[in-house]
Amino acid sequence: MAAAAAGSGTPREEEGPGGEAVAPPPQAPTGAPGARLSRLPLARVKALVKADPDVTLAGQEAIFILARAAELFVETIAKDAYCCAQQGKRKTLQRRDLDNAIEAVDEFAFLEDYLGLSGHTQSNQMNS
Amino acid sequence: MTESPEDLNFPNAVVTRIIKEALLDGVNISKEPRSAISRAASVFMLSATYWANNFAMKGKRKPLNASDVLSAMEEMEFQRFITLLKDALEAYKREKKGKKEASEQKKRDKGKKTDSEEPDKSRDEDTDEDEERLEEEQNEDEEVDN
Repeated sequence: MAAAAAGSGTPREEEGPGGEAVAPPPQAPTGAPGARLSRLPLARVKALVKADPDVTLAGQEAIFILARAAELFVETIAKDAYCCAQQGKRKTLQRRDLDNAIEAVDEFAFLEDYLGLSGHTQSNQMNS
Repeated sequence: MTESPEDLNFPNAVVTRIIKEALLDGVNISKEPRSAISRAASVFMLSATYWANNFAMKGKRKPLNASDVLSAMEEMEFQRFITLLKDALEAYKREKKGKKEASEQKKRDKGKKTDSEEPDKSRDEDTDEDEERLEEEQNEDEEVDN
């Protein structure tokens, strides 16, 4: 017996010839930012995931969630950097705004080694 | 990490679009911070993959799944993303399911034209499993190539 999905309390369900309730066609998600499907190309996300030698397999849902998380990350860090630019009454984000945001926000601390905050290039850091 | 994150950047146009939509109209971003944000996104993703893989290994599972990634977000102190990601995952699953049902409906319609006396229920379930296995196999084929 197929359970009623809507929970509206209808006593009887219509069944198709196959014995299953016929579902209405789903509508594309609109409006809610969380529901928007990812903009980042999933193939590139897969390439990044494969770059980790310890990872052998990743499900499609995991790839999608990673893409969406990276997108949220970009939005978040851009907004935080913009707060710094606003304080300087500027309308163009500059590198120092990003650096300030990374230093100010604890969650961004993992970026400090990778983005050369002290002015060294990445290759210099890797050599030292 | 052996790979340089710069080799695995996201397309500039996409990153720029995401940034511009996050900020107010009239706000610009110059080239250097934009590419730095792009690199940061790559680093973020590599880090998230590392943590997600840790959780998968703890659970003695090989393929990373969505809950591993959500656990990674928590570990990285990005709890604020978790609700939005769960919503996104639900939408993604719904769309996938919708596509699957649409293709199955087409098959059913085709079957009706030829010989439609048998119930399709078990066949539908089998197709579901086959499709999932196929996707996993496809992923496996792609992933094992390391």
